[in-house]
Amino acid sequence: MKRRRYHPPRIAGWILKNTARYEENFAIIGDFDEEFHEVVREKGASFARLWYWRHCVRSLPIFIKDSVYWSFIMFRNYLKIAFRSIKKHKGYSFINISGLAIGMAVCILILMWVLNELSYDKFHEKADRICRVTMDLEVGSTLHTPVTLTAVGPALVRDFPEVIYSTRMLPPNRVAVKYEDKLFQEARVGYAENAVFDIFTFPFVSGDPKTALEAPYTVVITESMAEKYFGGEDPLGKILRFNNERDFSVTGIVKDIPSNSHFRFNMLCSFQTFIKEGDASDDQWFDVRFYTYLLLDENADVKKLEQKLPDFLDKYVGEALKASGGSIQLSLQPLKRIHLYSDFERDMSANSDITYVYLFSGIALFVLLIAGINFINLSTARSATRAQEVGMRKTLGAVRSRLIGQFLGESLIYSFLSMVLALVLLKLSLPLFNSLIGRELSMNFIQTPWLLVAILGMAIVVGFFAGSYPAFFLSSFQPVRVLKGLLKVGASNSRFRRILVVLQFAISIALIIGTLIVYKQILFMKNTKLGFNKEHVVVIPRMNDAIRKSYHSIRGELLNLQGVIDVGASDLVPSRGHLIGSFLPEGFPDDQRQTMDYMNVDTHYIPAMGMEIIAGRNFSEDFATDQDDSVLINETAAKKFGWEDPVGKRFVFRPPPGREGETTYVSVIGLIKDFHLQSLRERINPLVIFYDYDNLFSVSIRLAPDNITNTMELLKKKWGELDPNRPFNYFFLDDAYDSQYRTEERLKNITFYFSFLAIFIGCLGLFGMASFTAEQRTKEIGIRKVLGASVPGLVRLLAKEFIILVVVANLIAWPVAYWAMNRWLQSFAYRTGINPLIFVISAVLALSIALFTVSYQAIRIALSNPVDALRYE
Amino acid sequence: MKELTKIEEILLLAIWRLKEDAYGVKIRKYVSQIIDKDFTYGNLYSALSQLSKKKYVRKTIGETTPDRRGRRKIYYTVSPEGVKALKTAREMNEKMWEGVSDYAFD
Repeated sequence: MKRRRYHPPRIAGWILKNTARYEENFAIIGDFDEEFHEVVREKGASFARLWYWRHCVRSLPIFIKDSVYWSFIMFRNYLKIAFRSIKKHKGYSFINISGLAIGMAVCILILMWVLNELSYDKFHEKADRICRVTMDLEVGSTLHTPVTLTAVGPALVRDFPEVIYSTRMLPPNRVAVKYEDKLFQEARVGYAENAVFDIFTFPFVSGDPKTALEAPYTVVITESMAEKYFGGEDPLGKILRFNNERDFSVTGIVKDIPSNSHFRFNMLCSFQTFIKEGDASDDQWFDVRFYTYLLLDENADVKKLEQKLPDFLDKYVGEALKASGGSIQLSLQPLKRIHLYSDFERDMSANSDITYVYLFSGIALFVLLIAGINFINLSTARSATRAQEVGMRKTLGAVRSRLIGQFLGESLIYSFLSMVLALVLLKLSLPLFNSLIGRELSMNFIQTPWLLVAILGMAIVVGFFAGSYPAFFLSSFQPVRVLKGLLKVGASNSRFRRILVVLQFAISIALIIGTLIVYKQILFMKNTKLGFNKEHVVVIPRMNDAIRKSYHSIRGELLNLQGVIDVGASDLVPSRGHLIGSFLPEGFPDDQRQTMDYMNVDTHYIPAMGMEIIAGRNFSEDFATDQDDSVLINETAAKKFGWEDPVGKRFVFRPPPGREGETTYVSVIGLIKDFHLQSLRERINPLVIFYDYDNLFSVSIRLAPDNITNTMELLKKKWGELDPNRPFNYFFLDDAYDSQYRTEERLKNITFYFSFLAIFIGCLGLFGMASFTAEQRTKEIGIRKVLGASVPGLVRLLAKEFIILVVVANLIAWPVAYWAMNRWLQSFAYRTGINPLIFVISAVLALSIALFTVSYQAIRIALSNPVDALRYE
Repeated sequence: MKELTKIEEILLLAIWRLKEDAYGVKIRKYVSQIIDKDFTYGNLYSALSQLSKKKYVRKTIGETTPDRRGRRKIYYTVSPEGVKALKTAREMNEKMWEGVSDYAFD
């Protein structure tokens, strides 16, 4: 009789097999099977199956509990072994862990920065549908700007159904704000229409977002402003006095604007104020002061809308444009692109640039790469010592996959230790980094849990990649060859290691060259003669109307102060923006108007600033006609118009199209030497200077270089008497001028620190490598010494190998760095040349650092007593 | 020496009584009978692995049968340390119950 055999439930069997992680695993399943068959015989197959399942499920909790417990014990054991090995090879571990930690810290920092950059303006709920109108104005040359025609916003809403809301805005500006006895200079006071709250997401704490800015002379303030001015009181309905001229009533309080917003205001006043005062209107086209933001319909296509804009514009301003010979092109810029993809003149705020995001991410990856290379290099170099271990393990039955697992596990432990250290480093260096980049990044894992995930991910990826080469390499040793001593370890992988070292140093050297060139460019920009003397000039911007009217007497009073050399007034100040207009030089046809910068000054401004008149004369109060009929031009203008002797040449002013009037002329009375009105990034434009008392907003005061503190005290006191209702607000011209190069300064600082770190990590690796080489060659050196080799000769022998690597690295780094930096320099109109000396300096620097690192080991081994080295065997 | 838990005591005694026949299936059945409940393999092997870790039992790998589909049995025997532990447990039990009459809880 053949009994039919029943099979126990497979799934339950599989579960048992994988949960009962005892040594007795096979016996347990055997027991289950045996009893199963017993039950089959007694009670039948289906009952037996049920029995099997029931017992399996009932046993599971305790199996799982034990299995977790044991794997924890195993893991602890494993950690213990890894830590023991870390302790045993202290130097090696230190190099590895600290190198990786620095690399990781740099990477995390940059990651935080990049994510912050990318997060700009995304907090607005409708961010995808918001865009801003930008304009290319062409009158002779072009002006590429987000400032646009005043009437554009309302007209777009009227003409296109897909444009839901529009708001015009005036960028956050400085205003003196007064409430009762509290008087502060506020830096971020802007203007907007009420639709701003429909478009952007600015949560209201109190007040009604529907009507807050509907009326003129209303203002919405942020929570911190409410606290600053009103403390515990309810701010709604309170009156703030602006510049001692206008009263605004508070109609709303919003939460503070997040720092990752391309514009930030503390107070937002009603745009209706302008309309009420007749300073702006909804059908005023040729007025370019305001920024226009739009909220589009969900289904709107930005590109399509953009295509309709030329016709739209033609309808309203076509004729006027034709008459003036200029052209205007409107574009729409999505909100999310503003921060990283803006290259406009007169933008609301200094935006960032996507290039820097790529650049810094690249550098960070390089630093991490260098650290990873170290790890790989040192691990393979150490294979000399570990080959024996591997051979032994293999002979005793370890399979290759186990060994790979072990090495990978070890490198993961290293990388996690590094991560912990990196987080500590990060915590310590964050303030420094923040001051370098001018941001307020914080390590807040609760707010940004993904950051923690990213960091953990990085630790795993780095551990895996850095560990994989050594793991596969080491585990491939054939035990017989290794144990017999046939495998000459180190030789087979030395080429790979060399390539890695070269790569490391090439990156470091390129970074050094980059830093030096950026530094040189900054020095160049700061030290170039600007055509005027920016030192020791105090500028008091934005005089109010009353002061402006009595400027003459005030000038006299200021001159009387001790330490004041000269005082001049102008409408704009070098480095703080420029005005562009189109002018018609005499002799040019009417449709060839020339774009020129222009500014207004008084008679004292040019000598006070140290600007030089080359031909003709400065404005003078002795000539009554100077105010209306005379201008100065700069050399660039004269050259552009082909005026060899510009004095006496004239500009033509036609009456506005469609209006009656006579053509008037102004004559050039003097030629002024070219000076840099803007930063050295920009070319010097043709410039025309008018003498106009009505438009002078800023006083520039030249001080005697000694005892400036004292003079400033006197000045502050005097100004307080003259303008008691505003805080004394001033800046030094040289600071303002230099602050234009803040981006470059940041770039320099960051590349400086990065190249330092890259070099440091690279040297750690080199040091480790050198010590292993030295160790391996102990006997060789001993024999050489016995045979009469000198210490310097030995050092040279040991160092030579590494020096060659660094030289090769130089040869690779030079062209790359030259190409990259040359491109960078192209963005400056006035730039320093790339001096070959910089390459030599960085080469010498890299070489000497490498030499220093290597020679410590080399000298140590060369000085050691040969007896010690040869005594073994 | 640590005291045995009740379950360890029962198991050791079972192994000792089962002599040559002390492997998983038999031990489980015996214990189930004593405690009058279906003793699970989970509890059995969790306790057995503890006992062998404490060196109270010794393991020997035995034969297999067709029902076991090739998986060998593991036979357990009580080691001298195990015997000592059993003795101590018994003494403790007797001391504990000394003077308590059989009818005390009726």
